[in-house]
Amino acid sequence: MADPLIRIEKLVKKFGPFTALNGVDLEVYPGEVHALLGDNGAGKSTLIKVLSGVHNPTGGQIYVEGKPVNFRSPRDAAQAGIGTVYQDLALNQLMSVTRNFFMGRELKGMFGNLRMDEMNKIAHDEMNKIGINFSDPTQAVGTMSGGQRQTLAIARAIYFGAKVLILDEPTSALGQKQQMGVLKTMMKVRKRGDIAIIFITHNEIHSKLVADRFTFLSLGEVIGKGTKKELEGDDIRRLMAGGAELGDLAAELATVTG
Amino acid sequence: MVRRPEIGAFIVMVIIIVALGIASEGKAFNALGLKNNIAIISQLGIIAVGAALLMIAGEFDLSIGPMIAFAGMCIAIMLKWGLWTPFGVYEVTPFIAFVVTLAMTLGFGWLIGTIVVRSGLSSFIVTLAFWFFLRGLTEVCFRLINQNTNVSGLPDFKKESWFAEQMGGEVFGWFYDAWYWIGTKVTAGVEFTGDMSREAKIELINYLGFFNINRKMEQWVTGFDARLLWFLVIAGVAWYVLSKTQLGNWIYATGDNKDAARANGVPVNRVKVGLFMFSAFCATIFATCQVLDTNSSDAAKGMFKELEAIAIAVVGGILMTGGFGSILGVIFGAITFGLVANAVFFIPWIDGAWFRVFVGTVLLAAVFANERIRKRITGGI
Ligand SMILES: Nc1ncnc2c1ncn2[C@@H]1O[C@H](COP(=O)(O)OP(=O)(O)O)[C@@H](O)[C@H]1O
Ligand SMILES: [Mg+2]
Repeated sequence: MADPLIRIEKLVKKFGPFTALNGVDLEVYPGEVHALLGDNGAGKSTLIKVLSGVHNPTGGQIYVEGKPVNFRSPRDAAQAGIGTVYQDLALNQLMSVTRNFFMGRELKGMFGNLRMDEMNKIAHDEMNKIGINFSDPTQAVGTMSGGQRQTLAIARAIYFGAKVLILDEPTSALGQKQQMGVLKTMMKVRKRGDIAIIFITHNEIHSKLVADRFTFLSLGEVIGKGTKKELEGDDIRRLMAGGAELGDLAAELATVTG
Repeated sequence: MVRRPEIGAFIVMVIIIVALGIASEGKAFNALGLKNNIAIISQLGIIAVGAALLMIAGEFDLSIGPMIAFAGMCIAIMLKWGLWTPFGVYEVTPFIAFVVTLAMTLGFGWLIGTIVVRSGLSSFIVTLAFWFFLRGLTEVCFRLINQNTNVSGLPDFKKESWFAEQMGGEVFGWFYDAWYWIGTKVTAGVEFTGDMSREAKIELINYLGFFNINRKMEQWVTGFDARLLWFLVIAGVAWYVLSKTQLGNWIYATGDNKDAARANGVPVNRVKVGLFMFSAFCATIFATCQVLDTNSSDAAKGMFKELEAIAIAVVGGILMTGGFGSILGVIFGAITFGLVANAVFFIPWIDGAWFRVFVGTVLLAAVFANERIRKRITGGI
């Protein structure tokens, strides 16, 4: 098997006295979708924020292509090839698609001027490569559908050299049809073979549809991991519920209903 | 329509121009009227551009007015008493006084911006604090150094200093030269034409004279206030930067959603601090023009100017919540405000206080209109 693109060792993140991540290990491989699953508050968002340079880790080490890295800012992480698509997508609604696509990494001409025509064309082409038909890169992002926004955020990350694409609950705020659109986009990216996708989700069905490998988090710790083959369907369900047996849950519910 | 934030401001401006032209019987736009109107439009426009860029980036600056008074005080005191250094007191030229003053005001702008971005406090409250601080400091300095709350009767530096002439003097004299030249030719043409009765000729010449194209009304105007030049320069640069450059994209991104901007590598804090400094720069230009034009300064200068600047920006289509707006709209807003502020001079029967009634009404209407545009873009959120 190929070497992992990213390896995380014993990652710890504390917010004051509160430990959000308590020694997390994770490996991510190119051409794979790696589902990161866990209940609300498990530490999924914190993990990817450390990985994308938003938070400094309290302890542990991140390796990118075998080399230890130390991100001081999101810019560092982006330069190392980590492209993050946050839950809020990091898009600005009032600005045009192109202005969002190139936000922070604008193409400049000789006098610091924006090369707007070129930027419009790139934004248009890159989005059409992985997503739905889309025609007007000068439209405001606020006028686009949720699925189109996801496509924009993903296309942007890939265009700017993401080797690892981190998607934080990309399907949670969307309708049924748009969810399938995003999953399709993920599969198109996966097919390229050179990009690793970390897919954070609550949704067991979605993760089983697209993921090759799974890691389960609960209260800041890894409680289970494996490839699709290694994990039986039932295992996934048990781990999704934070490690409790379904039977235990049923018993617990029974005490409530009396 | 949705993408043109300045469309409302443009319509209001056209209505005001037409209404003022009619109500003043043309006086508002004869040679002298135009000069006076453009003087106040430029004055307001200079600070409104600074306020507008800052608002697009999502922050307010209430310290503009006191910054004007402070800068005016510094320049006037230096011109009167010289520059105090550890090596003695030196007499300074207007240019040196300006440079030293600018260093101080930019320092204050930097301080305000840094406090805002570091503390995360609302810029409204931080700049309100500086409103009091700078107003007080200005008056204290005036009294300590000059034993008075103003400096007046400075020599006229415009003759000896090129810089003073460019700030407080006149520019674009060719405009009025051309205006009068055309007037003379037209008048001569009317006089020598064969197929007009004598009465009709006199009437037409008097009419043309009313618009002053032939100096008939004896208004001797040789150019625009130099402020116009600075307004054009500042607005031009701001327009280019905002709409055509990377920094412009960063300004929009910062005001729209600063977390999204930051996540994409936009140096949000540096953008904000820079724009607080730019606002201080605009206030300093305002003050420099004022001092070198009138050869005086006063602790009460710049009163209400921060509120007028913000109002112009809003009327020009800048969103209170940031992230949207254009410099063109601000220019339209400044023209509208300047004309209405000056209207009392051209329409004798009007009470000057109507200016504020008008401002209040238009401001409220503009806020509603801007909010509608925002909702349409963001899908009603
Ligand atoms: N900036 C922060 N400061 C303090 N606590 C935080 C912060 N971010 C997250 N947490 C806490 O860390 C825990 C994990 O949160 P998060 O990573 O968002 O979980 P998930 O994304 O899995 O739902 C939660 O208990 C949350 O309250
Ligand atoms: Mg989360």
